[in-house]
Amino acid sequence: MAGRPGENTLAAPAAYAARPSRRFWRLHFQRRITLWGIAFVLPAILFFIVFKFGPMIWAIELSFTSYDMVSEPAFVGLDNYRKLMADPVFGASLFNTLVYIAGSTVLITLVSLGLAMAINTRVPGARYCMMAMFLTNLMPIIAVCLVWRFLLHPFGLMTQLLAPFGIDRVDWLTDTRTAMPAIIAVTAWRFAPYFMVVFLAGLLAIPRDYYEAAEIDGATARHRFVHVTLPLLMPTIFFVVVISALLSARIFLMPYIMTGGGPGNATRVLSMLIYETGFSYLKMGEAAAISVVLFAIMLVFTMGQMRLFMRGERVHG
Amino acid sequence: MVNKTNSTPGAGPSRRDILRGLGAAGAGAAALGFGQRAWAQARAPVNISFWTFENPQQRPWLHKRIRLFMEQNPAVKVDFQFFPFGDLGKKLSVGFATGTAPDGFVSQDWFMPTWLAKDLLAPLDVQRLGYSSVKSFSDDFTQAFVAGATKDGKVYGYPLWFYGFANYLNTKQFKEVGLDAERDWPQTWEQLGEVAKRLTVKSGERFTRQGFKFAMHAAQWTMIQFNPMLIQHGGAWFDDSGKCTINNAAGVKAMTVRASIARTYGAEDPADSIATAPLPQMDWLRERASMFFCHPIPPAAIASQNQKMLSEGYYRPVQYPGVEPGRGFSTTYGFNLVVNARAPKEKQEVLHDLYKFMMSDLADCWKDTAPFTLARKSGWADTPEVRQFPHVDEIIKAKDQGVYLPRTVVYNELADAVHRGVQRIMLNRADIKATLDEIAAEVDRATEASKRG
Repeated sequence: MAGRPGENTLAAPAAYAARPSRRFWRLHFQRRITLWGIAFVLPAILFFIVFKFGPMIWAIELSFTSYDMVSEPAFVGLDNYRKLMADPVFGASLFNTLVYIAGSTVLITLVSLGLAMAINTRVPGARYCMMAMFLTNLMPIIAVCLVWRFLLHPFGLMTQLLAPFGIDRVDWLTDTRTAMPAIIAVTAWRFAPYFMVVFLAGLLAIPRDYYEAAEIDGATARHRFVHVTLPLLMPTIFFVVVISALLSARIFLMPYIMTGGGPGNATRVLSMLIYETGFSYLKMGEAAAISVVLFAIMLVFTMGQMRLFMRGERVHG
Repeated sequence: MVNKTNSTPGAGPSRRDILRGLGAAGAGAAALGFGQRAWAQARAPVNISFWTFENPQQRPWLHKRIRLFMEQNPAVKVDFQFFPFGDLGKKLSVGFATGTAPDGFVSQDWFMPTWLAKDLLAPLDVQRLGYSSVKSFSDDFTQAFVAGATKDGKVYGYPLWFYGFANYLNTKQFKEVGLDAERDWPQTWEQLGEVAKRLTVKSGERFTRQGFKFAMHAAQWTMIQFNPMLIQHGGAWFDDSGKCTINNAAGVKAMTVRASIARTYGAEDPADSIATAPLPQMDWLRERASMFFCHPIPPAAIASQNQKMLSEGYYRPVQYPGVEPGRGFSTTYGFNLVVNARAPKEKQEVLHDLYKFMMSDLADCWKDTAPFTLARKSGWADTPEVRQFPHVDEIIKAKDQGVYLPRTVVYNELADAVHRGVQRIMLNRADIKATLDEIAAEVDRATEASKRG
């Protein structure tokens, strides 16, 4: 049976009524593609709105309230932020967090880049070393912390390794001077192998020709690294720095299990303070205010990094 | 129609009347008892959630009693969950906030002010628990313990376990250094330092054996161990206005004594410990420390780490040292069975019956959980099993003469601040007065914040 002019003769029967309407098919092709795209992306957008941005907005709202998790939240304006400014524990935790972010980001980046370059030399067995190192990433973080707590006992294995140098005791986790560096070192031990793989991918993507040309021009190994490797590795370095800094900013389990934030406040970071303030002291408003501060720090840091990276991109063409 | 009766008017009730009356009363009581015990069979299924803390002895006993109750009341289903000791309070807070708190739970006594201040607990019907009045209920327990669970004349907690800390000695090590643990156990703080010093064994700068060990692993332990020291020295956590007074002269004295074991007597290395949250007494169990302040230690816990110590019995608990000899006392604390105020009425009733059932066989409780002493005065302490338990008198004495942890809504803030302060003093040799000032300021800020709501 012939259809009327302009009518789709292959129109779906009633059983397929869920298919897009004729009106949809009349839309411009580009528009249809856009709508399909939106339809496909919509679940992800909804997921982010409900589970990511929603809680974020709620946390910001909560930071202006007094909320004990039981009674209704009461609006208190900027009180929570004022309290934070006057709280020495918050000050110490903020300082520790910045030290931890800076220390672990620098160490992770340097160690992972060094490891990747070592693996990239393609010496026999390098790949097995890489696999062995990557195993540290597969260990549950709680197991890692517990093992390191024993290794860092004042008379534990790490101290015994220093015995030949005349050092027979180091209070790694119980001395305010060594506790944070020890945690930073364990963080690097845990995460550097992961970023090593990222760096390795970046290194392998650099064409060998560049190195050969540099070598012909008489460039030393240091010059090749500074003028070839580093510029071409910049996007990877940016990625590693930003991601490891974000990871470090949210670190919780490592100081929580290894030192409990101590001795004193030496390793208390903001995420621990958020947990204690919210769940131990039932001050959700204050905890939310600390979260907002942490969020602001990370936002500023990430935007700063992006600006630096963009400038670098422009410089290097 | 004439009422035929054999009784003579005015002559009082006949034997038949009395028998009838007794029969009717008996039938009524039986029906009432049956109705309460087996009410569940007659009603729709009831699902109860119940939370407690993890302990290798106490948790299995609670679980056993709950299973037995379910067997007797097939319509009742109890979802039994347990959490690490230090996490239970936080889990409950989150539960109350999110509407997922259990219908009933075991509450550590220091959390009672927090729950009561926020009206989160339902008052208990003591008659349903088998008591004729609140007074008879209160009289069956230590007065001060019940007081912590009472508000406006209503009782909110059914006391379960209740015990005090004691000083656990390794008597073999006492003997090794020429001391008799029966006679020479330290009765004053100075004696504690001297005896600990004598028991200490060092290899160079390293301790092979610490004469005495304070727990350094958790805020709660710091509080329990320091609380009686502060009170013994005439101190208090708060004054009448609610201001923290840990930094007054008595507090400084108490903390100085606390620090003296390491600083003055050199009998302790605060940084050297293998203690863990589940086994804080690990250094003592492994004979790395000769003395340790601890709650009653179950034989199973000793056996798990040091079978020889248990089988040869070379340990004993003694009372805390005191400012004066023989006047020492420790911290005492306990656990209440409580009911969530938001639980439906029907579930609250079932929980009353469950709690009554759980507490109906305290001899069984002791059998499974000894030497964790019970809060109730009656029904257990005189049984042969209790009397035969090693050192039971010392354990009961520690409970009976102990002092309570501060009852305050800022307890967690206080405990954390004190713990951090003790860490700074002991691990980093911070100045005692300055540190106590910082603690007091931190606690006062928390108190102010709680007053503002």
